[in-house]
Amino acid sequence: MSWVHLWCVVAPLLASVLAQTTPKDEHFHEELVVRPLSGDHVNTYFQFTTRWHYGQKENLYHTQLTPRVIAELLQQFDVRELHIGLTQGLWRYETWGYPIVEATSGAEMWAWFKGHNLTDEAVDKQWAQLANVFSGVLCASLNFVDNTNSISPRHLLRPQFMPANQEKFVRYASLPREIVCTENLTPWKKLLPCGSASGFASLLNSGYVHNTKYHSLGLKVRTLCQDHDEDNCILELTQTANLVYDLRLLEQSGNDFSLRRLFGMGLNGYCELATTSKIYVQRNELGARYQLVPLPPAEVQTTRGGYTVLYGVYDMQEQFQDQGERLFNIAWLAPKGEERRNRLKPAPPPIYVHRYLLGQGQERGRIVTEVTNSHYAPLPIVVQELIPWYVHAYLHTLNIRRRSMARHEYGRETLPFKLLHYAPGKQRELPTHLEIGFVLPGQSSALITIDVDYLVLKWLEYPPDANHGHYINAALVFSSLPMGTNYSALPLEGHLFAHSFNATRPSYVLGLHTEALIVSLPTPDFSMPYNVICLACTVVALAFGPIHSVATKVIVVVRPTSAGPRNFLKRLKEKLFSRGGQESTPMEGKREGVVLDDPCPDEKADGDQEEEREGKEEAAEALIANPFESLSSAACPTVWDL
Amino acid sequence: MGLLSDPSISTQNKLVDSLAKHVRKVCSGFYVLGVVWLACLALPEFNHGTYLSENALSPGLVYPEIRIDSNRLASQLLEELQRERKEHQSTTPHAWITAKFNEFGLETHTHNYTLRYPFGGGKEYHGKNIYGILRAPRIASTEGIVFTAPYRAPTSVHPDISPSVPLLLAFADFARRKNYWAKDLIFLVTEQEQLGMQAWLEAYHDGDRVMNVSKAYLLPGNLPARAGSLQAALNIEVQDLEIDYVDVKIEGLNGKLPNLDMFNLVQRIMAREGITSGYKQTLRKKRRSNPTVFEKNLRQMLSMLATQSSGVPNGNHGLFHRYRIDALTIAAAKRQTHATLKGNAGSAAVPLLKAIEGIARSLNNLLERFHQSFFFYVIVNNDRYISIGDYMPALVALVACAFFKAYLTWSTLDFELQPAATATASAETQSGSEPDTAVEDGLPYGSVLIYLTAVLLIGYLGNVLPLQQYFLEIPMGAAPLTTSVLSFLTLIGFILPFVVVLPAGGLELLHVGFLLIFGCSLIVIGLLNFALGFFVAVLTVPVVIALETSEKNWNGSMRNLTRLITVLLNPMVVVYLIVLCMSFYQFPELKLDKLLLRAATAAMDASAYGLIDCVIYGNWLYFVVSTVFLPLWILCWTLALSKRREIADYSDNEEAQRRKPKPQPQTKLKTN
Repeated sequence: MSWVHLWCVVAPLLASVLAQTTPKDEHFHEELVVRPLSGDHVNTYFQFTTRWHYGQKENLYHTQLTPRVIAELLQQFDVRELHIGLTQGLWRYETWGYPIVEATSGAEMWAWFKGHNLTDEAVDKQWAQLANVFSGVLCASLNFVDNTNSISPRHLLRPQFMPANQEKFVRYASLPREIVCTENLTPWKKLLPCGSASGFASLLNSGYVHNTKYHSLGLKVRTLCQDHDEDNCILELTQTANLVYDLRLLEQSGNDFSLRRLFGMGLNGYCELATTSKIYVQRNELGARYQLVPLPPAEVQTTRGGYTVLYGVYDMQEQFQDQGERLFNIAWLAPKGEERRNRLKPAPPPIYVHRYLLGQGQERGRIVTEVTNSHYAPLPIVVQELIPWYVHAYLHTLNIRRRSMARHEYGRETLPFKLLHYAPGKQRELPTHLEIGFVLPGQSSALITIDVDYLVLKWLEYPPDANHGHYINAALVFSSLPMGTNYSALPLEGHLFAHSFNATRPSYVLGLHTEALIVSLPTPDFSMPYNVICLACTVVALAFGPIHSVATKVIVVVRPTSAGPRNFLKRLKEKLFSRGGQESTPMEGKREGVVLDDPCPDEKADGDQEEEREGKEEAAEALIANPFESLSSAACPTVWDL
Repeated sequence: MGLLSDPSISTQNKLVDSLAKHVRKVCSGFYVLGVVWLACLALPEFNHGTYLSENALSPGLVYPEIRIDSNRLASQLLEELQRERKEHQSTTPHAWITAKFNEFGLETHTHNYTLRYPFGGGKEYHGKNIYGILRAPRIASTEGIVFTAPYRAPTSVHPDISPSVPLLLAFADFARRKNYWAKDLIFLVTEQEQLGMQAWLEAYHDGDRVMNVSKAYLLPGNLPARAGSLQAALNIEVQDLEIDYVDVKIEGLNGKLPNLDMFNLVQRIMAREGITSGYKQTLRKKRRSNPTVFEKNLRQMLSMLATQSSGVPNGNHGLFHRYRIDALTIAAAKRQTHATLKGNAGSAAVPLLKAIEGIARSLNNLLERFHQSFFFYVIVNNDRYISIGDYMPALVALVACAFFKAYLTWSTLDFELQPAATATASAETQSGSEPDTAVEDGLPYGSVLIYLTAVLLIGYLGNVLPLQQYFLEIPMGAAPLTTSVLSFLTLIGFILPFVVVLPAGGLELLHVGFLLIFGCSLIVIGLLNFALGFFVAVLTVPVVIALETSEKNWNGSMRNLTRLITVLLNPMVVVYLIVLCMSFYQFPELKLDKLLLRAATAAMDASAYGLIDCVIYGNWLYFVVSTVFLPLWILCWTLALSKRREIADYSDNEEAQRRKPKPQPQTKLKTN
């Protein structure tokens, strides 16, 4: 314990020394936002931001608050911007509104690359290496990210800090099967300057964090360099943890909750290395009915795009100024005797999305993405689909149908595409990449459908638990809202949650994720009889080849009439020449060409005559070269291709 | 004898020779073998004890947490519902159910559907299902489990099962407060029996069928919310909160069954909670008579096959099977006796609630879809089953004789023809080339093929005709319409062999064709729905064995008997006889003439229901009967009649060949 005390004394001292020696160019901020959501849910959002004005690239070797691995990243790769999300659960837009940071369920990752003489191949390589690095750093299965499941989005993802005129590369991948758990949380916390020892991160105990309805860990790295000056750069690392608690799942029933109930313990202070540590508590809307204990010392009212939110602000550094303070707790007390049933359903946000699979059986299906615009004005929508290679999508079946929200069913009314980018997939190599843009009229829904075929995989390509099904990635839907209702994301240029206060803009870019899908591909029965059949068939096939070849061929020794030219070009020429000659006199050709008596009966059956003759000729030549070897190698190519 | 005079056959085919001698015996032997084999399977030595293949289910691993307060909630909800039912005599109290789902914190949605009843000018019915989704904390809505309770209005003719809805709601409230769910739970209350269920499932899986919206009879509508791919479903039909026993219903559409693991799971958990439960469970009183194990097993086996053979699901669970969702119904019967009352009324439903919780948690454990264990099985006892590998040989043995006879007829085909050819040659003026031509174009493949096509066309028309627009517009009920179309087609089939007489060798060739089609279709039907295939085989194979085209070894009385049985085996007649038997057992007090009349109307209704089931639910019994069995019967009837041309007709053999196809267009014209 003594060294902790010592550290407490030394740390501010050390910090001040550092502040004196180096210009104050590295800051760490911790923020916590608590927002009650409808349906007895509470959203808690942690944001830890490190911003380092490192200047020249050489300075990256001396890290202080920024973790070393992030600094090394910039030295090794030409990456300018990196986003990683590890999420469990699904954000329910219709009841919860919009989150502060977006994430899809499972693992998601995208990065922007820029550098001198950077080529696509180099970026592919760097991208795979980058994924591997973070697979180790975050203990996630990001090492499964490769070219078979990555795409380069065209229109949808925009770089946040990069000059527009330079060539840059982007890669995007998501792994919907990834299960996020405590093994990801621990390394994620280790990237923080204070670790999980003190500060807001001490609240993130896996026992409580993973009992939530939704939890999402985020990691965002951005660099900003002055135009044409690579020696004046800022590195920004933002780590976010977005949690949604279901109050009904907490042990005691009732609507009261507190930091202690949510996280298992009160707050033990703030991170000494942090410049600011603040807690923001939403006081209006659903937060209005709660009584806060203790009351927030300050309040902030923010109006953004015509939407006003009131936050109570607790500054932890003020709170813990007195030495006597041990643990800090905030309690939300709901009025007593409140009936649950009287609560109204929340108004849905302007845009929400859903996705599902139609069709039955394991042969084909239809992927359906439904986008609903409950706003009165038309809104632009861009949808990005990443369809894995084991599902064949057919572009001609792509179709957007529309219905007004008053009706239940979709009619024949379709919406025209404003934008369509399609990169077809390739079996085992590339996913299908589709971006669709259209304008969705107000108060209506669009149903985007595309028909798919399910592929029969090779038997080793099935994952363990093959009957669980294969995942189809979630779609990304982007739009820009004219007003800030329900919108709480950070503005592009801001790096703190506080920067979203009063940040009114002409439009607000909104990104939404749909559900991922599970498809049942045709799955063989991986049971013992199946394995026996596979093995037996392999043995039979191996035995059949040579036996068939020996049994169906007659060895006839042929005298070489003329030595064939050894030069490749001459051989080709002769072949072409002789072919023409043989066509004119087939009988003669046959007489000359008959060397083997029916060398490839299979080929004869379904191949065309000329090819057969060619095969014979080849065989003849081979025989001439080496009559013994030819029997096993050249005589019957079809068999050996098997 | 032709067989002996031919050198090639006598040396090559001793097998054919001996088979020809003993074919009846061999076939009868196989028939008996098949039937005895199936009966033997009821012996405990021939079937196996059930076991759980899927380890992820681990039934009973967790301690049930549902407590008496849920039971209290259920009975309180039941009281509220009974009050609601007084106001809603013939409708569903949608508002009340929606309010309850909302109160428990579920995502609540309604689903509207429309049925366009095609017959009698057409009518439209509207229905509404209510469902609430519990979004599981441990998954991103990629998988789901469905719990359904059918709601029956007080005016319904079926037994009252209104307590299922409160039970479902009480379980939903319990489940909402748990955080271990790894699959979304859908709580669904359907109305209008299976129609609501079918509409919901169709909307879930084929939601946006816009292309043929004018042709569809059931417009499933659009679902506002879904929960990923559905893994399993449990249908709850409870007559009262105080229950006597639970009957586990498994038979689904077209005789499909849920995975055996699912049945075993339910059995294990029910046993743990001390609930009497079983397949085709009935009251204890009835079981007091003491039959042997074999008799009991056989009875249960046959009753299961009987239920399966119609292809009609015996509960809402049956419609899930088509979408590869394993589902079953737990039907709890009202407590009749109070002698064995264990606890007080206040905790009556606790065991059942605990069982539902246990099943739900086991299903929640599933990592993969049900795939281990068996999908094709016959249950002989609550803990014993017969797998597909054991019962299929019985059907194969029955059908085998069709292939034997086909082979035999085919091998002797040429040589039966030769006497006829020589006869023709002798009747005509002698010419050297005559026998050669007779052998060359002796087999009238063309005309037989045309005959077969015409017969199949008649069957196809039976499937298509009743749904034609001009028939539907006739203000006539579905039953008379279907019956009249079918009777008309049967009549055509009946007359056809009198009108169309095949040339020499045609009957033999037709016989081969008939036997092959018969054998193949029965095997295929048996693979899809074993019960149907087996029963049809048991009924028809004796006739197939008896059928013979050559007049030599088929004496007159035998021949007439076969004809009589063939007439009795007409699909329409069989349906009528089955309905007659059933109404005889149901209404023993009726007099014979009234019984016959009632059976006739019931049979007409049955054929109409078959058609409606076919177009709305996708039950293919009607399709099979009209497209496969009716043509087969017509062929069988043709062979039983064995109408042959007079010898004189052979004189203008070639001309007859050319004339042959002519009667066919006439029949087609008639049918059209």
